[in-house]
Amino acid sequence: MGDNTGVGTTILTVEDDERIRTSVRLALEDEGWSVEESDTGEDAISKFGQVDADVVLIDIMLPGIDGFEVCRSIRRQSDVPIVMVTARADTHDVVAGLEAGADDYLTKPFAPKELSARIRAMLRRARTPSPGNPHLTFGELEVAPAEGVVTRNGEPIHLTKTEFRLLVELASQPGLVLSREDLLEKVWGHGVFGDGRLVDVHIRRLRTKVEPDPAHPTHVVTVRGLGYKLQG
Amino acid sequence: MEERHLWPGLRLGLRARITLAVTLVTAALSIAVWLTTVTVARQTLLDSREEAVTRRAQSNSAVISGRDLAETEASEVQTTLSSLSDTERPSVVWNGGIDDVSLDPRYTADDIPPEMLRLALEDGEGSIMRFQFRDEPLVAVAVPISNQQAAYIEVSSLEGVQTAVRTISTALLAAVIASALAAGFLGYWLSRYTIRPLTRVTDAAEAVALGQLDTRMNYSEYEHDPDLAPLVANFNMMVQTLEERIAADARFASDVSHELRSPLTTLKASLQVLENNREALPERAQQAFDLLDSDVERFTQLVEDLLEISRFDAGAVRLELDDVALVPMVRATISNLTHGTVEVLHEPQLEDTIIACDKRRLARILANFVNNAEKYADGATHVSVERHQGRPDGEPSVRVAVEDSGPGVPEELREKIFDRFNRGDQGGSRGADVGVGLGLSLAAEHARLQAGNVWVEDRTDGGSGARFVVELPLLEVHPSELEEDLSAATPEATSNLTLTGEHKAIQMSNPGEFP
Repeated sequence: MGDNTGVGTTILTVEDDERIRTSVRLALEDEGWSVEESDTGEDAISKFGQVDADVVLIDIMLPGIDGFEVCRSIRRQSDVPIVMVTARADTHDVVAGLEAGADDYLTKPFAPKELSARIRAMLRRARTPSPGNPHLTFGELEVAPAEGVVTRNGEPIHLTKTEFRLLVELASQPGLVLSREDLLEKVWGHGVFGDGRLVDVHIRRLRTKVEPDPAHPTHVVTVRGLGYKLQG
Repeated sequence: MEERHLWPGLRLGLRARITLAVTLVTAALSIAVWLTTVTVARQTLLDSREEAVTRRAQSNSAVISGRDLAETEASEVQTTLSSLSDTERPSVVWNGGIDDVSLDPRYTADDIPPEMLRLALEDGEGSIMRFQFRDEPLVAVAVPISNQQAAYIEVSSLEGVQTAVRTISTALLAAVIASALAAGFLGYWLSRYTIRPLTRVTDAAEAVALGQLDTRMNYSEYEHDPDLAPLVANFNMMVQTLEERIAADARFASDVSHELRSPLTTLKASLQVLENNREALPERAQQAFDLLDSDVERFTQLVEDLLEISRFDAGAVRLELDDVALVPMVRATISNLTHGTVEVLHEPQLEDTIIACDKRRLARILANFVNNAEKYADGATHVSVERHQGRPDGEPSVRVAVEDSGPGVPEELREKIFDRFNRGDQGGSRGADVGVGLGLSLAAEHARLQAGNVWVEDRTDGGSGARFVVELPLLEVHPSELEEDLSAATPEATSNLTLTGEHKAIQMSNPGEFP
């Protein structure tokens, strides 16, 4: 599909602090993206239906409907990549945000460079599934990276872009263990300080979709001390 | 409150004082009872003995008084005395004291108290007297014989009475000692119940002092006790106030940091926009921009550190143990921090070692060490990862040491630099970009949280410079497949925190109270 991460990309930012909203818009526009703004959760939900956002940036602490709810609401209608912005890095908020359907998170005050790097990684993830063997089979599970399709016993399984990318990365090296750091770098474009919780939460969500019994996974397997692997 | 003591310098505990008081009071009471009883018993015994002797003397004297003694031979009197049945030691004195007969060969009329004889012979009056004769306690009763200047004298030994009194006294004394001892034990035993509430207060206060601020005493247990209820209520109120104060302080620091995050976000985004257009700025404005940029970065770090510190202070710190391939992790962290300019040395056998540790905290510690080396010593020279056996508990440990070739840290500052806002050299002579001194103290907290330690020492090769070391327990994880998710893991697998395959958060205290 080529590099579609520049012109024509729209980012919806949901943030109640006008100064942050404006400065972030300026920084993102410098990257060549167009930015739509919302100052409340209600406005964001209605605006999401109108603008064709490629990435949504949501501040958790919003007046009225909070960021988690906005995230859940958007996730119900779309696979669009969502970045949560939180004022705190503690486990509760981060995991709650990821459970609400966010693909990634940032902690205030974040460096705009970091934000654009995350957005770029997500756009890549959303638009260019990694090339590989046309069909990879793991037992009753079949992954077709080029088509962006996963089936179990022939039934298609619906995955978000990030979950699909995660599965494809695991599938591209069948039976080999990928560490959290590997996955963070390949799927999220994070550096060495990436947060393993991102991987863990997404693995858990992936399991609920692809495993016959998510509590006793047989495909997406934890290898204690090393990471995760995909097997038949 | 002024304390008084029995003896200056002798300080007894509450329990000892209660025991001592009970013992002393009991002893005093029983001694009083003892003295009274002995006195009364002695008097009663003496009285009854004297009465018996008097009665005997009167009836016996009647036998003698029937005779004309002046006409009677002493031997006859002697015979008469011998015929008396109810007597002990009878004597008769007649002729105004010129003749006398005693049945007891041990003494004569001369041995009778003269006052007694005078009363009987001259005044014709009877009397009773106690006296000591040859160490024997005696009682004598004189009965005058009318119109004859004579007297019948009955003497009786008080030895038996004395022995009886002594026996009673000894028995009672034993009872006194026994009851004092019993009172002592009873007091000691009872005082345990008396001071048990105090023991509980002590335990609770100790728990509070150790940081368990949610400690409370069970008020309902004491509410019907008018003496203890106020103590318990006030104790609970005090701890409540303390907890709220500490929470408020911590929340304040945390709130301040949070409030600073918003403007900092705006600042950083705006600076980015400026940086994107940096070339369009005049040179002086570019210089000003660089200053602004680096100080916003510094300010951000300070806010992060303050927030981290307030989390430690609030006890709202979570340890997140993760399986970490130590050497690759250190290598990646150091490479990221120094852009690959600093070498990481390690013992070969550590290459594949996976340990359970909090990766983020270890990375923060290493970042602090590296930043410190950059500020004070032109950067780190190398980093080493070592295995040690020398932990105090005998368990193996791993050490990651960051060495530099700067001026080193003087002996007297080596502990101080890990205090808050202490940056070693006060003059800031170790470089213009002097940090704010929260970093090393945070490094120490990060290490302590995972049962580790940090310190600074001389370089091992003896050269000039400092060696900052972080030591962590070597909680080794052996790679193995987990066929199931942690939520369904066996108890054996989850009971050992060091062996969990996924992130495992340990809440230190106060769950969810603070960010």
